[in-house]
Amino acid sequence: MDFRPLNDTERRQLINALRGNAESDRAILMDRRDTSFLGTADEVTDEEVISAIKSVPCHY
Amino acid sequence: MLQGLVGTATRWLNDLQRSWHRPRPLPPPAGKSASTPISYGPLERVLLTDGVGRTLFEEFANHRSEARGEEETGWLLLGLREAREAVVLATLPAGAMRDASVAHVRFNSNAQAVASRIVRQTDRRLNIIGVVHTHPGSLRHPSDGDLRGDGQWVANLRGHEGVFGIGTADGIPTPGDLFAYQPRPHVQCLRGLRFSWYALRQGDSAYRPLPVELTIGPDLARSLHDIWSTLEFHAERIERLCRQQSAMRFEVMTDEWGTGLLLTLPLAEPGDAVQVLIRPKEVRYYVLRSGELLEVQHHDEWVDRGVYQLLAFLAARA
Repeated sequence: MDFRPLNDTERRQLINALRGNAESDRAILMDRRDTSFLGTADEVTDEEVISAIKSVPCHY
Repeated sequence: MLQGLVGTATRWLNDLQRSWHRPRPLPPPAGKSASTPISYGPLERVLLTDGVGRTLFEEFANHRSEARGEEETGWLLLGLREAREAVVLATLPAGAMRDASVAHVRFNSNAQAVASRIVRQTDRRLNIIGVVHTHPGSLRHPSDGDLRGDGQWVANLRGHEGVFGIGTADGIPTPGDLFAYQPRPHVQCLRGLRFSWYALRQGDSAYRPLPVELTIGPDLARSLHDIWSTLEFHAERIERLCRQQSAMRFEVMTDEWGTGLLLTLPLAEPGDAVQVLIRPKEVRYYVLRSGELLEVQHHDEWVDRGVYQLLAFLAARA
């Protein structure tokens, strides 16, 4: 079992997620392998965003 | 390799911390549950922040006064896709390394990809909303060529629908034209410049006019525009580092020496980090260790190579 302090970003994201869960019923995602925090349901992955950026067509 | 310039570097850090543009997390939308997946319907409006509106008009005007002002240009739009509307919160410019002429523009996507990572540190819900591009003449509507490309591209977007803006400079600037006005719900005009807004959904045979409205808010990427050419120069190597070092963080900072991009890569010990400050004419490396900031006499303009050489040096001394 690995214990480590959260960095600033992780801490802020977790607090926002807990606040969103308490105030707005926002889902908190958990990694099924190790129960670690995976973000909230409406977050978008970097891969999805960058895939859209890289595929922008030429405009005329 | 390591020359500890502790006093200088610590003062620099203190100055820097006062001037960092620290991204602030966006507030969660009130009364909205994300535990239920959003059901995306056709877009009914696009909402621009005033920061985004200013960026588009100001940078379009600046572009027209430059040497390449006759070429098309554009911006990628980053924001939030809600069930029936899109909120645009950031603009990622086409870049100086764009491929463009009077009849086409292809964005420099390398810099836009890195910029998206930087902006999305603020809020991981931010996504690609659409594209704005300009026409040198008076065609205020996307072209047939645009339709062919965008019709396929929108499959990548939430709701399989995108927002598309067309900028033209075919209006007549009038004295007293102090603020923007909307002659039609999907059109914004200011000082002879015009943006016309459209939506396109996967499978549509034509764009449809999309009402545009303004709200108060930032352009979350605006501070990056000041260093965009620097970002373009280093984008591929920064992107490579991002994929290899997932804990890397970014700060845009401004001090008496100008604007720069600060990369922070955490080390194994809590609080320790390698930092890289990228400015238009230099790349500087620092090590933050046990509360002390050490400047490294190591001048490698290739950021990824410089970072890994520094990490190798630190590993050898551990």
